Amino acid sequence: MFLINCPYCGERDQSEFSSGGEAHIVRPKQPKELSDDQWAEFLFMRKNIKGVQFERWNHAHGCRKWFNMARDTSNDKIHAVYKMGEKPPIK
Amino acid sequence: MSKNLRITNSKFIDQTSRISFKFDGKTLYGFKGDTLASALLANDIHLVGRSFKYHRPRGIMTCGSEEPNAIVQLGNDPSMTEPNTRATEIELYEGLEATSQNCWPSVNFDIGAINNFFSPFIPAAFYYKTFMWPASFWEKYEYFIRKSAGLGKSPTKPDRDIYDHRYLHCDVLIIGGGISGIIAAKTAAQNNLNTVLLEDKNNLGGTTIFQNNECFKINNSYSNEWLSKEIVSLNSLKNLTIKTRTTLAAYHSYNYLLARENLTDHLSLNEKKDKIRQRLWKIRAKKVIIATGAMERPLIFNNNDRPGIILSSSIKKYIDYYGVKCGQKISLFTNNDTAYETAISLSKSGVNVNSVIDIRDKSNSSIVKEAEKLGIKIHWKHTVVNTNGYKKIKSIELMKLSDDGTNVVGNKLNEECDCLGISGGWTPRVHLFTQSGGKLKFRDKDNVFLPTKSKSEQISIGSCNGDFELDDVIKNSNNLIKEFLNINSSDYENLEINCSREIDKKNIWLLPSDKPLGKTKPFLDFQNDSTAKDVKLALREGFKSIEHVKRYTTTGMGTDQGKLSNMHALGIIAETAEVKMGELGTTTFRPPYTPLTFGTIVGRNVGKFFDITRKTPIHDWHVEKKAEFENVGQWKRAWYYPKENETMHQAVQRESKAARDSAGILDASTLGKIDIQGTDSSEFLNRVYTNDWSKLEIGKCRYGLMLNEDGMVYDDGVTTRLGENHYLMTTTTGGAANVLSKMEDYLQTEWPELDVYFTSVTDHYGTVSICGPNSKKILSKVIPDLDLSDENFPHMSFKNAMIGKIRCRVMRISFTGEQSYEINVQSGYAKSLWEKCFDAGKEFNITPYGTETMHLLRAEKGFIIAGQDTDGTITPVDLQMDWIISKKKYDFVGKRSLYRTDTIREDRKQLVGLLTDDPNEVLEEGAQIVEDANKKPVEMLGHVTSSYFSPNLNKSIALAVVKSGKKLNGKKMIVPMKNKTIGVTITETVFLDKKNKRLNA
Amino acid sequence: MLSYNSVVNDSIKYNDLTISVVESITKINLRGKKRDFITKIGKSISILLPTESNTSSNNEDLNLLWLSPDEWMLYENEKINSENDIYNLEDELFKEISKINYGSVTNITDHWVMINLKGQKVYELLSTSCPFDFKNFKQNKGSVVQTIFNHIDVIIHHKKSNDLNLFVRRSFCDHLLSWMRDAASRM
Repeated sequence: MFLINCPYCGERDQSEFSSGGEAHIVRPKQPKELSDDQWAEFLFMRKNIKGVQFERWNHAHGCRKWFNMARDTSNDKIHAVYKMGEKPPIK
Repeated sequence: MSKNLRITNSKFIDQTSRISFKFDGKTLYGFKGDTLASALLANDIHLVGRSFKYHRPRGIMTCGSEEPNAIVQLGNDPSMTEPNTRATEIELYEGLEATSQNCWPSVNFDIGAINNFFSPFIPAAFYYKTFMWPASFWEKYEYFIRKSAGLGKSPTKPDRDIYDHRYLHCDVLIIGGGISGIIAAKTAAQNNLNTVLLEDKNNLGGTTIFQNNECFKINNSYSNEWLSKEIVSLNSLKNLTIKTRTTLAAYHSYNYLLARENLTDHLSLNEKKDKIRQRLWKIRAKKVIIATGAMERPLIFNNNDRPGIILSSSIKKYIDYYGVKCGQKISLFTNNDTAYETAISLSKSGVNVNSVIDIRDKSNSSIVKEAEKLGIKIHWKHTVVNTNGYKKIKSIELMKLSDDGTNVVGNKLNEECDCLGISGGWTPRVHLFTQSGGKLKFRDKDNVFLPTKSKSEQISIGSCNGDFELDDVIKNSNNLIKEFLNINSSDYENLEINCSREIDKKNIWLLPSDKPLGKTKPFLDFQNDSTAKDVKLALREGFKSIEHVKRYTTTGMGTDQGKLSNMHALGIIAETAEVKMGELGTTTFRPPYTPLTFGTIVGRNVGKFFDITRKTPIHDWHVEKKAEFENVGQWKRAWYYPKENETMHQAVQRESKAARDSAGILDASTLGKIDIQGTDSSEFLNRVYTNDWSKLEIGKCRYGLMLNEDGMVYDDGVTTRLGENHYLMTTTTGGAANVLSKMEDYLQTEWPELDVYFTSVTDHYGTVSICGPNSKKILSKVIPDLDLSDENFPHMSFKNAMIGKIRCRVMRISFTGEQSYEINVQSGYAKSLWEKCFDAGKEFNITPYGTETMHLLRAEKGFIIAGQDTDGTITPVDLQMDWIISKKKYDFVGKRSLYRTDTIREDRKQLVGLLTDDPNEVLEEGAQIVEDANKKPVEMLGHVTSSYFSPNLNKSIALAVVKSGKKLNGKKMIVPMKNKTIGVTITETVFLDKKNKRLNA
Repeated sequence: MLSYNSVVNDSIKYNDLTISVVESITKINLRGKKRDFITKIGKSISILLPTESNTSSNNEDLNLLWLSPDEWMLYENEKINSENDIYNLEDELFKEISKINYGSVTNITDHWVMINLKGQKVYELLSTSCPFDFKNFKQNKGSVVQTIFNHIDVIIHHKKSNDLNLFVRRSFCDHLLSWMRDAASRM
């Protein structure tokens, strides 16, 4: 059970949050111009890495804000949390 | 008591309060402070159970949670009985009843013991190998295997006990109340840290608290006396919470831990009553100090499992702590110094110690010298090669070890004894450290796995960290604690510590015998009856991974999880396979550390608290009118309102007819409602709905369909334009929370530039829906001021209204196809509004209807229910709802996916209507639809999604999804059921009032 | 005329804990980001919007709770006396904020039920099913937390020492109260 530092509310128990999959996937501005393959790349293809992964989380039972998290999937260490629109503070 | 096995000078046992208890039906006596195990031993009862596979007689082997043999069935009440409890951990209470397990008809005469004589034919994985073939026989085998499998009996009735959960937050959590845990607790609490100390026994002090030996002194006091004073000094620390009888069960990431506190298990049956039995503590600690100590290892030699063979340190605890002699003529067998402490304690308590058999060549430590001084005989460089006695040990056979330790030489000696203490060294309890993700390292010197430095805020101290000598324990613990807590000094800086130190070490994982291995029984896992032979067999058969060997031989898979002798299994594997133990690693330790009851895990979330229930503001009315309820998500919704002896079918038919013939009333309060404000509200709706919202007039309503980005239908509902930049959106009952969170997601992450705000108002409004040809007349009685003419208030429009001083929002929208009004009012007034509508409708026979009738009425009109007729694989095109997809909009959520190669396929499953050949035959929802039942394999073209008997059409109707359904109008299909085949015809989805005349009737 | 129905009728009293439902408290949800929104709120109701997370501000009549960087809940101290005044606050703010597109104003009076928890054991009650660490919350009057209590969303406002207002959605109220009654009976 993680202890997650919501960028707005501070440290809270994981049960207040819901996870929203991989971060930094931008919805294409002109979907019509995309081929099926390009659209499928956006829609379906997700990374599943061992190591630091960038994820979207929502403080669903708190401030309801979405934010990003850099988490190492091999040991669950959360390296950073940062607001939507911000660049990842680590590589 | 036949023999006097009690000595009188134990301060931990209250010999003035006698307790009576029953074991296997026989009434026995013990004292307050005893465990079931110590009381049984005091009554000279060693034989307490039979082993799992061979049904060999087994006795108490330990004094703690690692006990493999003395596991008993506690109690005989069918709702309270508990199997597989460890006699070594059960505190004795008045009225306790326990029975042996895995034996029939009794522990003394067990028919299953015949397996022992067949044991040469029951090697490792015997069951796997034997019952594999012929495959069809498995059902027959299974009956017999099931009968012989398992140890205890499960309770057969619901648990009457009460369990509880609590959250706890602290600065420092210390696990284990032995000497190092106590040092940690005092130091942390003295430094203003909010500290919690957990101990699984009823008293603090660990093994040091009964270490009363000349060789172990702190500041010139015996170590036990010094520690007693330290424990007393803890009482004055106000930052410190001590929880005894509390076992740490699980150590998760971010220092989140679960501990089980036993509140009443030690109390008499009367005292237990109505009290919380066990409490699960959910702990979040800033820092964790693990001080869980070490376990003594057994030795692995031929017939090392007889009742009366007990760990040497346990014999010491029984005599020094409980005041119980485990025998009158005790032999000790060891590879290390600690057995000499036992020998000295026994000797000083007047128990006859035959001899100490030590596999080492010598030991010059002070404790050994002390034992020699007392005249205790020592057989250096000897090993036990066999033991005799069936239900209890009677004698041992010993021989001299060869120089390399792989063989025995010389003559065999016989030694009579009634108890054999064994000590194979010590294993640090690293279970919790590894549960938290820590990695272990191997120390060759004394063959132990130790914690490495942890990445999280955590340290291990004391013997669980590999410090076994008293001075190391105190000095190293103190230094580690200071560094971990950033403290400069503590009370434990300059203590004068005297202790015996062990210098000579020797270890042999599998001790040799004069017989070949095949003729011996050196047990590794006492509970599962796996021997060193079994492990070697597994290796010969090609198993290499320790995880595989474990599962193949079942070593370490009992209720004790192999705490006692996993190390020996690893040692034997490493030796046989010629790899280093450090490279071999260990099997994975998983939570819980000791078994938890289901009651503790679920806490109070049973019965009415099993799941959350939500109620509408009109709920009480439905209860008064004896409605049956249906769970919709967490909501309790009125399902139907049976009159007198009506069945569900009869009630639904009556309700459905009334709604179409005159008037019906429905509680629609559960629909999700979202208030939308902001200058970009229309733009936002355009992006999340498939249809166009720019031109919706103020005061008008529109139905919308929401898709996932993959083009599949997600939710639907009617949204009303309340003002220029103000909308009220409704969602399905189940979809409310998800829709809001999805919209917030798009707004916050994709389109943060939009000026729009969402606020959930689901619970603020109660919704009363009146439908039917007389609904207008009824509403005009309830709100006389409102002009209900079709010109002023047409279908799909909205009006603000007042009832007295209370505001209402009235929408003329319809989910039934009838003329229909939904009135939204602040929840506190909703029941009153409902009653007012009901009274006004009495003259029109207004009929309350529930969700079942609502579903039937909408199915007659072919309206879908998102989640019933759709399942996340259905596009609006599949629903034949092409009209709702805007051609003008460049983009909306899911649009691009609607023309992927897959979504434009014409043979997708599409929504159709179904009529049965026999109009009285009602299809089952979920039934498969087939064209040709003779084709093999039968091709399943689709399935029924909604099905009802329509009283208004007087025939059975259904909705279904069928491959290429759009093109199949009029086509005959069949629905094969278990006992019959039902003929159906594919039709349009709208069954009633195709021209929507009833909306304005 | 319509009459008001209480969500539950009883209050629960123990030695060190009183749990009481306080109904007819006007509650308004406020959302906005613009500078104008912030100043307009301050002027309209004479309270500064709390911008620090997990805090609140208040005056004699009103409490304003921080819920998120662009969301606040306003609630009145006194119950609604007369149905004549029932929409005053909402209408005033709607006119000043929503009408001129500064942000959103939504009446949520009956979306949330306010439950007052008072006594030495309030935090023990919360510890039965609330994963939140109340250590700092306890020390600061006016603290606000949105968290879960027995898996149900709640907003908790620290009014005075051992005196909290807990807000729960109306449809969950009966279940949560019944849970609290059960928990309190075992403390």
